[in-house]
Amino acid sequence: MEEDRSTTDASQLTLGISGEYMSGGYVLQSQDDDGEESLNDHDDVGMKENFREQDIYLPIANVARIMKNGIPQTGKVTMIAKDAKECVQECVSEFISFITSEASERCHQEKRKTINGEDILFAMSTLGFDMYLEPLKLYLQKFREAMKGEKGIPGVSVGEGLGEELTDDSFTNQLPAGIITADGQQQNVMVYTTSYQQIPGVQQIQFS
Amino acid sequence: MSSNVEEKVNHASNSKGISLPMTRVKLIMKSSPDVSSINQEALLLTTKATELFVQHLALSSFNNGSGKDQTLLYSDLANTVEEKETFQFLTDILPKKILVRDYLKLLEENPIEEADN
Repeated sequence: MEEDRSTTDASQLTLGISGEYMSGGYVLQSQDDDGEESLNDHDDVGMKENFREQDIYLPIANVARIMKNGIPQTGKVTMIAKDAKECVQECVSEFISFITSEASERCHQEKRKTINGEDILFAMSTLGFDMYLEPLKLYLQKFREAMKGEKGIPGVSVGEGLGEELTDDSFTNQLPAGIITADGQQQNVMVYTTSYQQIPGVQQIQFS
Repeated sequence: MSSNVEEKVNHASNSKGISLPMTRVKLIMKSSPDVSSINQEALLLTTKATELFVQHLALSSFNNGSGKDQTLLYSDLANTVEEKETFQFLTDILPKKILVRDYLKLLEENPIEEADN
């Protein structure tokens, strides 16, 4: 297979073997190593026939900052090559899609329409990211406390886009509910579920 | 979400350290086929998980790589993705780079058949 080599040659080709996106063969992308050209210039090689989820990326500055935060600081300034940042941008979108489709599948299997937190956590575990589970659960807990503490919210109401397809299916498990409210005006409901934690003795709140 | 609620969610999530735009994360999630809706908890967890993922990938690559001058290179990422099972879902989008001359040499040795689309 191809080897990666450091080089003084200014231009390198990226060999993209993308069997699932193309019918076969190799894909060449021209790319300047000095980082001036965007890694995401797919139009040259027509890798995509239609719009894919990987085309939407998170802002590179945010991604780069988080990368830096993950790397131990030795007193020297951490440098990240531009193509490395761009690459992680793509990886991030891939990761999100990866998790989402797994979670979505589980959701469908259970005949629910809305992906909930448990689906996401389950997907993490299934796909080999179980090392994230504990920090995520902890984070969720803190987030709820922070939300409760926000002035002026007895609960949370949601507009379109989140939770509007909340159905009774969401309640099929024994769930202690965190915050439930019904906004009379919007007729939408947000429910925090903690189905992965069983808290004995908590009265189940049913929404009908 | 109403803008009022969104503000509160953003504030709560920022105060606990989320630095990625959740709306963008949601956009990516929604572009997956067969996804109809995503509840707030799911979005939050995905966003946070994404942060953890970025840090995880960066750290693994950095430790794995040359580490010269405290610099993270593309090649470090490509190597890590190849070696670590957790990251192997990324192999398609993270090909190793090859010099033109090496690629041409590779072609000579292993001629590619005509693609039969």
